[in-house]
Amino acid sequence: MMLTILVRNELEKTWRSRWMVFAVLGGLFLLIAAGLYSFYVSHDHRWSPPPPVAWQTQLRSDIANNQSTLDNLQVVKQQAGTRGRTLFNGRALNAAEGQLQQAIAADQYLIEHDIAPLSAYSMTRAALFGFGGIVMFLLVRIFGWLASEQIAGERSDRTIAILLSRPPSREQVLLAKAIASFLISLAVVLVSFLVAYAIVAFIMGSLGPVTGQVGIAIDGSKPLSPDNLVTMPILLFLLMCIGAAMLAVLCVQGMSLLISVLTTRWAAIGITLAILFGASLLSGVVAGIITLIGSAQSAHFLNYAFFNVLAPVGSIAPVFGNGATEVGKGMHEFGSEVATLAVWTVGFFAAAWFFFRRREEAG
Amino acid sequence: MQAADPNLVAIHLPIRAITLDPMPAIVEVDHLTKNFGPVRALDDLSFSVAEGEVFGFLGPNGAGKTTTIRILLGLLRPDAGTARIGGHDCWNDHSRAAPLFGATLEQPGLYGYLSGRDNLRQFARIVGPVNERQITDLLALVGMTERADDKVKRYSMGMRQRLALAQALLGRPRLLVLDEPTNGLDPNGIHGLRLLLRRLASEQALTIFLSSHLLSEVEELCDRVVILHRGQVRAVGPLVELMNSKGYVYQIDVSDVGGALAIVRSIDGVRAERGTPSDSITVFSGTDLARVINRALVTAGIEVDQLVRTQRGLEDIYIELTGVPSASPLSAPPTEVAVP
Repeated sequence: MMLTILVRNELEKTWRSRWMVFAVLGGLFLLIAAGLYSFYVSHDHRWSPPPPVAWQTQLRSDIANNQSTLDNLQVVKQQAGTRGRTLFNGRALNAAEGQLQQAIAADQYLIEHDIAPLSAYSMTRAALFGFGGIVMFLLVRIFGWLASEQIAGERSDRTIAILLSRPPSREQVLLAKAIASFLISLAVVLVSFLVAYAIVAFIMGSLGPVTGQVGIAIDGSKPLSPDNLVTMPILLFLLMCIGAAMLAVLCVQGMSLLISVLTTRWAAIGITLAILFGASLLSGVVAGIITLIGSAQSAHFLNYAFFNVLAPVGSIAPVFGNGATEVGKGMHEFGSEVATLAVWTVGFFAAAWFFFRRREEAG
Repeated sequence: MQAADPNLVAIHLPIRAITLDPMPAIVEVDHLTKNFGPVRALDDLSFSVAEGEVFGFLGPNGAGKTTTIRILLGLLRPDAGTARIGGHDCWNDHSRAAPLFGATLEQPGLYGYLSGRDNLRQFARIVGPVNERQITDLLALVGMTERADDKVKRYSMGMRQRLALAQALLGRPRLLVLDEPTNGLDPNGIHGLRLLLRRLASEQALTIFLSSHLLSEVEELCDRVVILHRGQVRAVGPLVELMNSKGYVYQIDVSDVGGALAIVRSIDGVRAERGTPSDSITVFSGTDLARVINRALVTAGIEVDQLVRTQRGLEDIYIELTGVPSASPLSAPPTEVAVP
């Protein structure tokens, strides 16, 4: 009962103090949708959605396109070989060639076995886009900022003393703040998914089915086979994506609350955003250097830094394209990232709880 | 009779039963010690506050008043000793101690982006059960009805103090802890607060723990006081006894100042000096010696035009014990004050 009351208080405080953030987010969604629609109208010279295309037809078309690209690549390689010139990017050409061959084989496998890829349906594609791409990258940072103010803001406003002097325990206060942050972010994430779904459905010309199965590679770097493929219902896939995306949000909120417990408002916001933006950037640079020296696999350990697994849905399959044909994509990678996230999340919340219980408010 | 504050309106709050038995202590501070790094903020502090009492908590800046209050509110953990409210440890058993008190701090903690009414609703929900009617009554009690729906960020300091007081009264606490409640209040506000506290103390038998720099307020309102200096108790007890224990001062207008000084100085336990105006002397004594002094002067043939006996004020005692004038605690360095 007390927890419900505290959560209600926190929701009211967040809404009343930060409604502008949500208004800006809403405006941003509208702008993106309007921008994409304008692009579509000018590009396709039509106002209405295109006619839907069956996924098998789409895959055959993709196979033809990939085969054409592959042929061109092989011509380039042959010409280079005949003239005796060393291709500067020969290694990259070989990799691209291999990737195209695997994509063609994967598409053929899916058609032959009548297994729809994730790109087949509006809902699954919107889930990949809405929960795994740039949208979540930005949203988790906004949620991190909001959560970092939860306690630090009360400290800066001097309301923490009165709040903590009242009957609810510190554990209840912290839990209520975490739940309120989570509920707000869940609402925003679901709205952003609906916007993504509407956009993708328009582009694909159909809302698509909500029942049926989709196939996902377990290891995206290997050819599809009965041992390297998992199928699941569309709705289950959607729930899995929502769960993973919200775990990432929870992880960021745990980190932000920990920082919030220890500092005041501006310090908390600054540290949180510095970690969420700066650490990812730094990690990218480090990964680049390691890849240049060794291989992409050598930099893989960086995925266990929590800021690199904040969009685990993005590791299931590429948002654009037909399927998982990349190293570091697939259900196996997804599972590892979710497990990593879970460990970090528990660690952050445990630390926040530990410090908040003992923290003295000297004013 | 004092004029009623126009900001205050009648409010009907239940009056608790008053018994004639000695009231139990609601606040018990026992050998409390608190350090902030190398600085000892509280040094073996002990005192208690009886239920129904109006208790003054005095001391210059840095004496440890706010530290003590924050320990009572469960915001700081003592290094040694205990602080209890209603028998419950303020740190380890906070959730049981907390329903017994309401508090305001020197800088009122309120949500600036909410209205005054919504601020009260926020806290009302967690101290509950408090209904809308009670919130409206409390807003009226502190004279905030007209501005109740304005955002707090538009309030003056005095208005924030009044709203903070209403917040502290939510849930009908048994103990009201007030840390510098007159901070930011104008003279009318101070007068209104004094009337309100007096009413709360008498009508509801509310225990009031009042920390203030305004000694006149404390002198007028409090039954007992503690005077704190550098984290230690310098004096504690009923105000009347405290002032009596520190002696009497007489202002005597006489016909012969030199002769009068000689006569009075021959009396044991008395110190005398030239007074203002110049035809008077000022006499200090530990006990009431008015008759003895008067008789000695008359017997010696010195005419006494007027003899005025006054108890020493709280301010005199405060300065003597802390070495800091109350009006400007920061500006003046500690000075030695002559003690009779």
